[in-house]
Amino acid sequence: MADCRHRWDMTDTRFGFVVFEKCYHCNTIRTFFSTEETPVLWDKYREGDCFWSRVEVAQSFQFDLKCADCAHIEKFGDLMGFLFCTSCMDDCEVEKLQKKHEKDRTWVLVAFGHFPEVKKNPIPQRKLDILTDYFNQRRDTSRSRVKIVSFELIKDLPRCKGVFIHDVGMLSEEPPKERKPVF
Amino acid sequence: MTTKELIDKLGLEPLSKFEHREVNGVFISDMLSDVMTGAQTGNLWLTIQTQKHIVPAANLVDVAAILVTGGKEVPQDTIDLASRFNIAILSSKLPTFELVGKLYALGLGGK
Repeated sequence: MADCRHRWDMTDTRFGFVVFEKCYHCNTIRTFFSTEETPVLWDKYREGDCFWSRVEVAQSFQFDLKCADCAHIEKFGDLMGFLFCTSCMDDCEVEKLQKKHEKDRTWVLVAFGHFPEVKKNPIPQRKLDILTDYFNQRRDTSRSRVKIVSFELIKDLPRCKGVFIHDVGMLSEEPPKERKPVF
Repeated sequence: MTTKELIDKLGLEPLSKFEHREVNGVFISDMLSDVMTGAQTGNLWLTIQTQKHIVPAANLVDVAAILVTGGKEVPQDTIDLASRFNIAILSSKLPTFELVGKLYALGLGGK
């Protein structure tokens, strides 16, 4: 429905894990969502010329958004998760946006798609805007707002110290003191 | 009931700098995915998690406050991040079960 202004609800929620794998031959990172029970960390296997090792497993979830008015569904199976900026690089576009919006009490969060597919097919701005709409519809925007932006704005991904909003180390006896960057 | 009233009635310790606001319910979870899917705006979120990623998770769903239970120590970087973005972090030495009982007695039911 083209005229619908869309009131979004989360639907088809799936809980599982985001698995981060790295090839130590070509340094490629790849991620995928798994509903397998506790994917094994440090599991190693070969696939063609790549030697993959699981470097991180994070408890997370996937969801779609459904309009409560027109029943239109927007699928977000391509969304890996959200990262928040820790201001590690002053000249990063994400940090600049965060500083710009901070006085308006608008939080900037970075949406990531799954690697490596997202490099060729980034999450379109239309879908990022829908995510922004959804999280703002879910809150009292007179107090604060949220803005979802693309990971492409990150200046130097391997140097980024942003933190993903997902759980790691839930099965360890002590919570991890600091999260290591995965890229 | 406001966060100020809760602090006074339950002897909670405010750790971050924030503006007081109305609390409309309670959500209990130690998993961010659970919070992001289930917590509602204005909820009081009870958790034993203390790492700084609880701050953006809390903000994403606009909870009224994070209440860290069981006397868990909250790192300063978590407190600083919360203060920067006006997110309330409260602390109590009481275990979650006891706090929930008290919150329920105050009329704050589930979400």
